[in-house]
Amino acid sequence: MRKTLLSGVLAVAAAMTAVGGTATAEPALIGFIYPSPLSDVGWAKQLDLGREAVVEAFGDKVRTAVVENITEGPDAARVMNQLVTDGAKLVVLGSFGYMNDGLRLARQHPEVSFLHASGFKQAANFGTFTARSYEGFYLTGLAAGMVTKSDSIGIVAAFAVPEVIAEVNAVTLAARKVNPDVDIRIVWLNTWFDPPKEQDAARALISQGADVLFSLHQDTPSVVNVAQAEGVRVVNTASDMSSHGPDAVLASVTYDWGDYFVRSVGAALDGAFKGADFRGGLADGTVSVTAWGGDLTEEQRAEIARVEADLKSGAAHVFTGPLRDQSGKERVAAGEALPDPEIFSMNWLVEGLSGSLPN
Amino acid sequence: MDSLTFLLSGTVLAATPLLIAALGELLVEKSGVLNLSIEGMMALAAATGFIVVTLTGNHWLALLAGAVAAMLLSVVFATVVLIALGNQVAAGIAVGILGLGLSGLIGSPYEGMTVAPMARTPLPFLSDIPVIGPGLFNHPLIIYLAPLAAALLWWMFRSTKLGLVIRAVGESPESAHAVGYDVVRVRFLAVLVGGFMAGIAGAFISVVSSTLWSDGMIAGRGWIVIALVVFAMWRVERVVLGACLFGMAAIAELLVQSMGISAPSQLLTSIPYIATIIAITLLSMDGRRIRLNAPVSLGRVYAGSQ
Repeated sequence: MRKTLLSGVLAVAAAMTAVGGTATAEPALIGFIYPSPLSDVGWAKQLDLGREAVVEAFGDKVRTAVVENITEGPDAARVMNQLVTDGAKLVVLGSFGYMNDGLRLARQHPEVSFLHASGFKQAANFGTFTARSYEGFYLTGLAAGMVTKSDSIGIVAAFAVPEVIAEVNAVTLAARKVNPDVDIRIVWLNTWFDPPKEQDAARALISQGADVLFSLHQDTPSVVNVAQAEGVRVVNTASDMSSHGPDAVLASVTYDWGDYFVRSVGAALDGAFKGADFRGGLADGTVSVTAWGGDLTEEQRAEIARVEADLKSGAAHVFTGPLRDQSGKERVAAGEALPDPEIFSMNWLVEGLSGSLPN
Repeated sequence: MDSLTFLLSGTVLAATPLLIAALGELLVEKSGVLNLSIEGMMALAAATGFIVVTLTGNHWLALLAGAVAAMLLSVVFATVVLIALGNQVAAGIAVGILGLGLSGLIGSPYEGMTVAPMARTPLPFLSDIPVIGPGLFNHPLIIYLAPLAAALLWWMFRSTKLGLVIRAVGESPESAHAVGYDVVRVRFLAVLVGGFMAGIAGAFISVVSSTLWSDGMIAGRGWIVIALVVFAMWRVERVVLGACLFGMAAIAELLVQSMGISAPSQLLTSIPYIATIIAITLLSMDGRRIRLNAPVSLGRVYAGSQ
């Protein structure tokens, strides 16, 4: 990590010198810290597209500094300290694990605003942002239930945290709605990053007959690559990965942070920043489903589009009762929708899923 | 593909890089040098190999390029510990970090990219056996070379003068020197061969089994390799067994989950590591066994005798 830290500091320095003399008013520094290396696809790439939107919206009123591939802990604390020392007006913390260091810094520097990915603690100058990615996975779950020929869907999931559990449940509910016979298997990797292991998990699910895979929170096209080689379909997270699996990608559930970042930076520049909890979904365009493959018929596409419109308008809700968990216990009563706090702290699997949660 | 076929083929894919790198490390440790930089060497080779296969489309050239890159890094390590007489543990960790950093640096334009897989070479007749055939004998050619390398190394240590010289240098460098062998030269060459093999293993992961590059993708496998050599008590046949066990445990964990069997996945994830701890504990309960098997001068600086 020494290399990434060094390159990060250099990037900050370079950004400062590059923009130094050009603008008349001093441009505001906006810092971005990503947990993984920046590539063509993945979580960091989507955050960086948000950064590009900020640059586009504010032009030479801002200058941005990117520090990528920063592990949680002392490295992250040093990098954010450096950004604040350099005079950053707002810092985007791209990983859950930056929470405590970020909050400490926010308390020491009330003049600096922070945006923190998928956290649960807020302060006046410390806001959090989360995607309702389960909405996108509900739509792709419908598609998976429609196209599976073996009636078997396999999910490669990173960690059993509420965000991922909600996605797994959404896929299951949707697929079983259109295809009651479908069998859904899940492999928990218990790691955020190990491409060879992700691929072995995908191959294991394929050996059990799965012909549609879900790649939940794998940052590289690891599972997409296996799906392409083995001739099965795959739905992936974060970015459009169809270039890595032209025949394999059924759809990609993607994130767009542009609007949110632009609004937050605008508020910070005007001195009107409020640390709130932002949850973006299909309706505001934060989550969208792209790269639809050619497997679906016109009617199927139309049905999915109808559900999408209902979710966007609020007429439908992914977690509407009656919902039972694996043990058969009723979790949501008929006609009710699961409230937000329970979605974002989900720790149970819905009825119909094979396998169990790591605890 | 049924479960058993997947278990076999998955084990082979997971075990091969561990086996190749561990054989190299075994050779290095037999000569009396402890090389802790395997993780970095594998990472550098994975990046180099991936770049070469992307540019040329030739998987063999990529494996060779990865091996050479790791070997060049092992020259740095060997120079520090054998010529400058640096501490082997510190130098190994430092060179390992250097390798990881270099891999991220040269690999960054290729981050998250994928390549076409290597062609499979089904072995005639053997690959027609049901279950076992597609599981064990329908792989890229490089995979069949790993057990051959193990057999060659086993034979070398057992029956050749070269094997005896390497062991002599590792057990008692002063005696080896006294009978006329150049200790530093033997150790230097052993470290180069070990680096070359760690390089094949690293490039294997990015070029053959995963066909993608991402910074940090070796994900601790280099450290498993070092544990494997201890686990195997510096015996070639036990390195083969250990690599297969490790590979199989890693695959079985995923297979059990994919079969829909309710099992605590975190416990399954830790089985290979628990197995190592138990094995090492059992073996070291009798301290003599470790002392009898470990090269006597492992990790010690040999300053030469004037």
